[in-house]
Amino acid sequence: MKTRFDRRNFIKISSAAGGSLILGMLLPTACKEPEAVATCSFQPHPILKIDNTGKITVYVARQEIGQGVNTSIPMIVAEELDADWKNIAVEIAAYGTMQPGDHDTGGSQSVLLDYEKLRKAGATAKAMLVNAAAAKWKTTATACATEASMVTNSNSKETIAYSELVCDAAKLAVPKDVTLKSPKNYTLIGKATKKSNIKDILTGKAIYGIDVKVPGMVYAVIERCPVLKGKLVKFDDSACKQVGGFIQCVTVASSAAPMHLHAGVAVIANNIWSALQARKVLKVEWDEGTENTDSTEALFTRFAAKSTGKPTYEVFKKGNAPAAQKAATNKIDVTYTAPFLAHGTMEPMNFIAAVTKDSCELWGGLQLPDWATNTIAEDLGIKKEKVKTNLTLMGGGFGRRLHFDYALEAARIAKQIDKPVKLIWDRTDDIRNDTYRPANLHRMQAAWDADGKLQAWQHHHVATSIAIMTDGPEAKNVPEMLGGASSDLWYDVPNVHTGYSHVDFNLQRGWVRAVEICVNTLPVECLIDEIATAQQKEPLAFRLSLLENRPAYETEITKFRQDPNRIANVLKLAAEKIGWSEPRKPNHFMGIAGHHFTFAKAYGAHAIEIELIAPKKFRIVRIVAAVDCGIVINPDGLKNQMEGGTVFALSQALMSEINVENNRVVEDSFFNYKIMHFNEMPPLEIHYVESQEDPGGIGEVGLPTVAPALCNALAAAGSRPRTLPIKKEGFEWV
Amino acid sequence: MAIFTLNVNGKKQQVNVDPATPMLWVLREHLNLVGTKYGCGVAQCGACTIHLGDSAIRSCQLPVSAVGDKAVTTIEGLSENGDHPVQKAWIEHDVAQCGYCQTGQIMTAVALLKANPNATDTQIEAAMSGNICRCGTYVRIKEAVRAAASHQ
Repeated sequence: MKTRFDRRNFIKISSAAGGSLILGMLLPTACKEPEAVATCSFQPHPILKIDNTGKITVYVARQEIGQGVNTSIPMIVAEELDADWKNIAVEIAAYGTMQPGDHDTGGSQSVLLDYEKLRKAGATAKAMLVNAAAAKWKTTATACATEASMVTNSNSKETIAYSELVCDAAKLAVPKDVTLKSPKNYTLIGKATKKSNIKDILTGKAIYGIDVKVPGMVYAVIERCPVLKGKLVKFDDSACKQVGGFIQCVTVASSAAPMHLHAGVAVIANNIWSALQARKVLKVEWDEGTENTDSTEALFTRFAAKSTGKPTYEVFKKGNAPAAQKAATNKIDVTYTAPFLAHGTMEPMNFIAAVTKDSCELWGGLQLPDWATNTIAEDLGIKKEKVKTNLTLMGGGFGRRLHFDYALEAARIAKQIDKPVKLIWDRTDDIRNDTYRPANLHRMQAAWDADGKLQAWQHHHVATSIAIMTDGPEAKNVPEMLGGASSDLWYDVPNVHTGYSHVDFNLQRGWVRAVEICVNTLPVECLIDEIATAQQKEPLAFRLSLLENRPAYETEITKFRQDPNRIANVLKLAAEKIGWSEPRKPNHFMGIAGHHFTFAKAYGAHAIEIELIAPKKFRIVRIVAAVDCGIVINPDGLKNQMEGGTVFALSQALMSEINVENNRVVEDSFFNYKIMHFNEMPPLEIHYVESQEDPGGIGEVGLPTVAPALCNALAAAGSRPRTLPIKKEGFEWV
Repeated sequence: MAIFTLNVNGKKQQVNVDPATPMLWVLREHLNLVGTKYGCGVAQCGACTIHLGDSAIRSCQLPVSAVGDKAVTTIEGLSENGDHPVQKAWIEHDVAQCGYCQTGQIMTAVALLKANPNATDTQIEAAMSGNICRCGTYVRIKEAVRAAASHQ
């Protein structure tokens, strides 16, 4: 496969693409919306159309997966346009109307990458409306002011609505250079704004992939080989034929990188219930191959063995950490582990495909529609221009829909029948065939001198790689150590050595919300706490002593600007809001952790207060999160993301785990793949730093510091967990 | 297959389906009421919550044959214009992220508050704990249900 996705490359490629989008489409068209009476409109940029009814349509190219881009992106456009927010209509940008990469949604990149482009689009449209007004009034553009979708003549005080200028503006040339506002003058950006499609969501009108219906469509579910790399020997569908509504079975071939499919038999029926019933009576014989006896238990034993040797991949080296460690008398050598994790989106995987001899149409949710469309075209042997992709809302992303295995399955089924097919995964399919966050182990070593000054830091991350899954054994960028926690340690230590080792395991793996940052922040933010404790130092003050005097720098490996002072600031904000320095109630303990989410250009911290009820038995009293992600587009969206990120990470810290026996996933439902429920939710507060820095991303920033802050609180209470979820070490939470 | 006459959102509707078919799929596929969501199929997530009479029910576990002439209400039938007090509270607190589970959350909350307009936090917790939100909007759901409770 030629098209490959890599979080690190995605971020670089998308950054480049973000600056290259060409202004200049000028499309005076008759408006086709039936409810409107528009007679003219103009579209100075593919993402923005204004018509003479006053309606301003923003076509959002990034995918809405719950992270709020269908509000934050239109807000940025509306700000520079000086549009009245009430006039803004939001639509999903049709696939193919944008530049390659524009629809890609992941890595908390949407606002960060599109900010300038969106501002320019809004400012360009505004300039054209102002020019039209100036011509009408025979004055200059500088004599015109704009506010709330109106232009005012500063001299005569006349006003005119944007809607009345549209027909004239449509005839004007698109200006090449436009002046952007100073962020100090923002009136909409920074104002809490409700989700643009909230009413559709609450009335059941929001259409997700699973809700789409296509004329003549049939339904499919797949019986899959329980083991990846297994093969179909034979199947017998004679009993299926007794189920009303059953149509036929077709096979689904297995595949390897970039999208791993289990071998399967698709059961097709004219309704989903019949397909599910027929699958129950389908008889299948599998050849599971030779990689069908492994387990997570055995994997962690291999991880531990590997961790004592040298890392296969050296990630970052400064000074000579092994020698400094060896020479020191004050040292620590500890291991942290975390399990495989599933995404568990509320909307299970599903997809619709219709395939003819030389064309294909696809419907559903995809976080990386270019990659999916191109790969499916290649898989079907159809020219990619002949593949039409229709994008929908997604009932959760969290990185699951960066992968498109479910879409490839649907396409392969559709190729074999003459009708559109909607493939639905039931919840067990979804939990058993996820693209799991890799299980991981970190051997952490550090040493300090007689004055307590840190001298050596070694981090050996052992895991089963995602890149090897998506790119095959020859994959580049194998170490999942992107970002500040591991490759570019934010604490000032003279000798640092970090590295990564991969261990094979026959299980599908993939990107789960904040994957590399989460798995590396836990050991870093726990180790620093352990060192503070060993030195009998206050853990927050110890961190600040290593951060506050360190100037901002460019990270050596990943080339991100890293400002340790901004980590210090969010730590201090979280500490202040939770009352870190106030006297604590008996049996109450606090833990804290901070981090730099490098590629999201954001800094986050959590402080957690617990009450110890008995040894290893506790309740969470309160959680405070603090974040600095530069200019905040939508404070309400930011808070919602930080709340959600915290809950997502709490599940990971407390209860979630995917176990494997005989290369089969043990968990099969929300009953045993545990995630947070309503009654388990502790009080939670979100605070953010007011900033004039360019905006960063927010979708993943709420996760990485939750587990370390909790582990640090438990350590303060007398017993430190080093394994997630902490229930594995006998911690009981009430 | 059998013909059933259902009373859905105040309208009589006929469907010809396998009697064991869960209402979830009858609503979604046969009556095109897709606001009721599929999340797990085994009553563990609450995304498919509807009302049977005044009770919140997991429609994935309710065979069409068990419905009879009881009134079925889905999110589409909850209010004319999305202006039920609980929906308004959800808007006020901007509860949703991806939104997929929220119709089920609302149906559960509405049934709770109909039975107990002054529900306490403990009662809210007991009622809402069967509805999962993977995006983690629980803080807002709690605020919205509390607000709706005090408004009634």
